[in-house]
Amino acid sequence: MTDMSIEDYLAHGGKLTSPGNVPARYRGELLRLMASFVDSELAASAGFAETINDAEGIKSRIAAARIVLEKADHAERVLKIMAEFGVDTARYEGVHPWAARIDRHADIGAQRQGGDMRLSVFHYPLEGWVDAVVMNVLQGLAAGVQINEMAKVSYQPLAEVFRAIAPVEARHAELGAEGLSHIVATEEGHEAAEASLAYWRPRVAAGFGAVNSNRYERLSRMGLRHQTNEAMLAEWTAAVDAQLADLSLI
Amino acid sequence: MARFLPLEVTDVQHDTRDAVVVTLRPRPEDAARFAFIQGQYLTFRRAFDGEELRRSYSICAGLDEGLLKVGIKRVDGGAFSTWANGNLAPGTVLEAMPPMGNFHAPLDKTVGRHYLGFAGGSGITPVLSILKTVLSREPKSRFTLVYANRQMASIMFREELEDLKNTYLGRLSVIHVLEAEGQEIDLFTGLVDAEKMAALFTHWVDPEDVDLAFICGPEPMMLTIARSLRDHGLDETQIKFELFASGQPGRAKHKAVSKAADSGAACEASVTLDGATRSFRMPKSGQSLLDAALSNNMDAPFACKAGVCSTCRAKVLEGEVEMHTNHALEDYEVRQGYVLTCQCYPLSDTLVVSYDQ
Repeated sequence: MTDMSIEDYLAHGGKLTSPGNVPARYRGELLRLMASFVDSELAASAGFAETINDAEGIKSRIAAARIVLEKADHAERVLKIMAEFGVDTARYEGVHPWAARIDRHADIGAQRQGGDMRLSVFHYPLEGWVDAVVMNVLQGLAAGVQINEMAKVSYQPLAEVFRAIAPVEARHAELGAEGLSHIVATEEGHEAAEASLAYWRPRVAAGFGAVNSNRYERLSRMGLRHQTNEAMLAEWTAAVDAQLADLSLI
Repeated sequence: MARFLPLEVTDVQHDTRDAVVVTLRPRPEDAARFAFIQGQYLTFRRAFDGEELRRSYSICAGLDEGLLKVGIKRVDGGAFSTWANGNLAPGTVLEAMPPMGNFHAPLDKTVGRHYLGFAGGSGITPVLSILKTVLSREPKSRFTLVYANRQMASIMFREELEDLKNTYLGRLSVIHVLEAEGQEIDLFTGLVDAEKMAALFTHWVDPEDVDLAFICGPEPMMLTIARSLRDHGLDETQIKFELFASGQPGRAKHKAVSKAADSGAACEASVTLDGATRSFRMPKSGQSLLDAALSNNMDAPFACKAGVCSTCRAKVLEGEVEMHTNHALEDYEVRQGYVLTCQCYPLSDTLVVSYDQ
């Protein structure tokens, strides 16, 4: 009755529940996945903080500040799970300069930079309010797809965190769409939004990773992935097209 | 970082032939740290033959018992459980980390929920904690326990469950499934498989009526039950799992270290990842073991590269390394040969390392 390896158990959809029962390779991949999320949220929060002062009107300021706050909160929730694996969270919070950005026109593709595991899109600087809103709409929709995927991970405590934060992250994308609808109401705003869309769309798309990734197979056997990069990219593309059509941006 | 604190054994009850229920008392200054949530576990540590072993055992007390109790079932060849079953007595002081674990759901005294619990063998311990807590804190809720064991004599907490049924008349149902002993009703004999689950949902429990299910037992049983619960309409958010720390070996193995001469400026490294081993030469300084593996096209795991996150943890099987920074591994892991490869530089001329152990 107990003759089943953890690998078999995972391949059949089993869930793991504590650091004590994860195999070594699973541990590495799980921590990598969590670090990527934490770094991305901290970088997103830090990057967006500077746009609060660009926001026009109190409602927009509140929306931007709320995004900054909640993304940091989500990073902290996942970091708490990393702490159960021995991660020194106080040090981790300061391990990389989260507000740092590279040159706007540098091309880093989907490459991580050193030990900073944020998605590459969070290395690019925002340029003013319209640009920040557009980036938030595109990346917000991407986060929706990515968080839905992560809510299925076989490490149950992490899946539960992702399920809890999914609606809050979805709200961030909605706030972005509301902001964008005001922006495109003027011709000038419409033009600026189009320019930002052209800049951000390929950079956000790169965050879905390589097509035919050979890591996918391994991660999927561990129950750490369920949908391929291609499928997630297609889902995001459809969501973006629908959103932009609503705002007559296509 | 995890911290171990002393717990004094105040009572030991032999519940079955090979299981003890141990009551523990923290020092007054640690009492708040040992306040637990139903369904959580304690991790103990103890040295066996000079080697530290850590084992986790679920708390079996309810929140309102005012006690800290764990159930420890003896596992064949298990150093800690065998020792605990034979040697614990009032006055013994154990070392444990404060309670951990996420096998629980928020309580709400105003709602009337129907909980379903599945326990296999000693998997009863956290389920018992949840069950007792729910019955006392949610007066309108009901609990149905499906409890699988090999035979009558190995059922842990059998009497306590009977008492609870009497105390909470009509709110607690217990269905015993015995693998090796026939019972009057077929449903209750054998293993908990898909057929039994279907019968359970036909004759005993209306799946639409179930709010939350808790499962704790061996892996195949958890898979079977979870699949059946989903087939009967429960979604992921309604199913909570607890898996025992079965990935741990019964005995910690001594780390194999060869004292090879370390004269050269380079090292022959042999690194195993996902079952494949690659050998390469690397300098003894200037490049970390992780970077050497990455530059040899190995997809080694890493994140922070600062010795903080422990994603790049691997085990040194042969040879010696120097670890520049370590903010993540504990002393006992280092003694077993674990290293943070992003911070590692070879000292010996040969090095054998595995990311798979």
